[in-house]
Amino acid sequence: MIRVQQLRKRFVQPASGLPGLGRQPERVVQAVDGVDFTAPDGRITGLLGPNGAGKTTTLRMIAALLKPDDGRIEVDGVDVAQAPEKALARLGVLSDARGLYPRLTARENIVYYGRLHGMTAAAAAARATHLARVLDMEPLLDRRTDGFSQGERMKTALARALVHNPPNIVLDEPTNGLDVLATRALREALRRLRDDEGKCIVFSTHIMQEVERLCDHVVVVAHGRTVADGTVAELSRQAGQTDFEETFVHLAFANDTPTGSAR
Amino acid sequence: MIAAAWTVFRKELTDALRDRRTLLMVLLSSVAIGPLVLVLISALVSGLEKRAEAREVVAVGLEHAPTLRNHLERQTFTIRQAPADFEAQLRDNKLGDPVVVVAPGFEAALQRGEMPLVEVVSSSSNQRAQSGVGRVTTLLRGFNTEQATLRLVMRGVSPAMLQPVEVEERDVADRSARAAQLATMVPFFVLMAVLYGSLNAALDTTAGERERGSLEPLLMNPMPHAALVLGKWGAVAAVGMLIAFLSCLSFLPGQWLLRSEALAAMFRFGPFEAMAFIALLLPLAGALAAVLMAIAIRSKSFKEAQAGTTIVVLAVSMLPLMTVFNQEGIAPWFYWVPALAQVTLMGSVLKGEVLATPEIVASVASSVLLCAAALWLVSRLLRAAALK
Repeated sequence: MIRVQQLRKRFVQPASGLPGLGRQPERVVQAVDGVDFTAPDGRITGLLGPNGAGKTTTLRMIAALLKPDDGRIEVDGVDVAQAPEKALARLGVLSDARGLYPRLTARENIVYYGRLHGMTAAAAAARATHLARVLDMEPLLDRRTDGFSQGERMKTALARALVHNPPNIVLDEPTNGLDVLATRALREALRRLRDDEGKCIVFSTHIMQEVERLCDHVVVVAHGRTVADGTVAELSRQAGQTDFEETFVHLAFANDTPTGSAR
Repeated sequence: MIAAAWTVFRKELTDALRDRRTLLMVLLSSVAIGPLVLVLISALVSGLEKRAEAREVVAVGLEHAPTLRNHLERQTFTIRQAPADFEAQLRDNKLGDPVVVVAPGFEAALQRGEMPLVEVVSSSSNQRAQSGVGRVTTLLRGFNTEQATLRLVMRGVSPAMLQPVEVEERDVADRSARAAQLATMVPFFVLMAVLYGSLNAALDTTAGERERGSLEPLLMNPMPHAALVLGKWGAVAAVGMLIAFLSCLSFLPGQWLLRSEALAAMFRFGPFEAMAFIALLLPLAGALAAVLMAIAIRSKSFKEAQAGTTIVVLAVSMLPLMTVFNQEGIAPWFYWVPALAQVTLMGSVLKGEVLATPEIVASVASSVLLCAAALWLVSRLLRAAALK
């Protein structure tokens, strides 16, 4: 279970350039301004929001890459700020950046992360074989990742993130750059992880269809804030809309200029 | 922490050693080039030596001058008949010796005291022939003096009348001194091998990792960042040392090919010297790996990092020149400058000198300090680098 409470983060871009000569003043961006949600086990929770809503920043704070200015994150009751390594051991993160090592085979890429999680070489290798079966990537396993397609890369990166069998899975826009078949395969894999193994899955996206098809619970994020949460049906009812796209626009851009929902 | 660092070290080493194309280029440029240059230089030096030792005069028409011939032969010179087209050959750089031309009727004119003409033919654009002109003229002047002295003595005049002062040249330069200077290039080649060996690995584990987008997921593993930095640094330094080791080894068979005896005698580079080189370079390899990583971690791409590390490459290749430029010879502060210290110490090893402990301590301490500072910087910059 992942619990995020009143998370806040702001970035300060320091002033640059010489004084007087086209000096850029200091810029302050409040990236996350009160994100709040709970993702229970055995559920897929979608973090839905437009570009720049603060989704990636939130997920990076969950993965202990960024320190929040305010608020609290718990992973299975472990405070991320207090014990980041203990929390990371219970997390599998597929981040926005999912670079592989091109001179290593897919299996070596996966086993490397397993070893970094403190697994024995044998256990990590066995787990890589198991994940390859689950993710339907067995023929890829002993090929070098140089020249993999987007879908193949994503599967390898996902297997790498899941090598230590984490009870909580966080995915940042996992379907970016994937074709229809690869997207379907990913969805199928996530459902299986939820149903067969009871994982807590959080994934961020800006694509409505993804959420409609996959998510048990939706958290709508806009301007760094949680603006609504519930099931797809609940949210539609709350917004008084039948179409989920309209629901999303209504919820996410409610306080914006009326052009957002005028269509 | 140790286990995680060890895992990172093994992965990075495998990764670097699988980069066959880069490794091959490094091997060619820093391992093969040293012995190659050594052999080329030895060929050049032995050529110069042979010419100086080969007491030989190339001449035309010496059959008209038995007295001159006799003089030359008494000076233990052998006489070689010049080819018919020697002028053309001199012009085309094909003939490497000046040619002595004696006109017919030389002997008779000499007996009559008529100053017959002897030409020394060379071409000022022909370096090899030109360098022999002085030697041949001195030889002919010797003949002149001998003849003049004989005539004076026959007339009862002391030769000292003609020569109020006796002038004699004495050259104190050791012929092998030049060869010894050339041998000092070996430490430089080994130094560059460490640098080029670690350069690619250093960029790949930092800027390369950022460019691929693999640094961010890597930092999401539950381990201290120090372990990650330590493992990466160890692998980079190991690759640098491996290349340096191969470079040292390549000089061992390289010296068997030395053609100049003087050079071979001066160039004492056996297994002991090779091991001493490796031991001296070990701290420097660590420092260079750390510095390269500290510069490269700031760069978003491999290319940008390459531009950034040019300054390190330049510094390491220029610093050894201090030993040449500094008028006072080796200054004490040399031992406190990484790279310069190692080159100076390796030079001492080649000369067969015993290394002083304070100098070794200074060279190790400066490298260790630099290394620690750079590693601290890398671990500080790591997180920020992953997110940008």
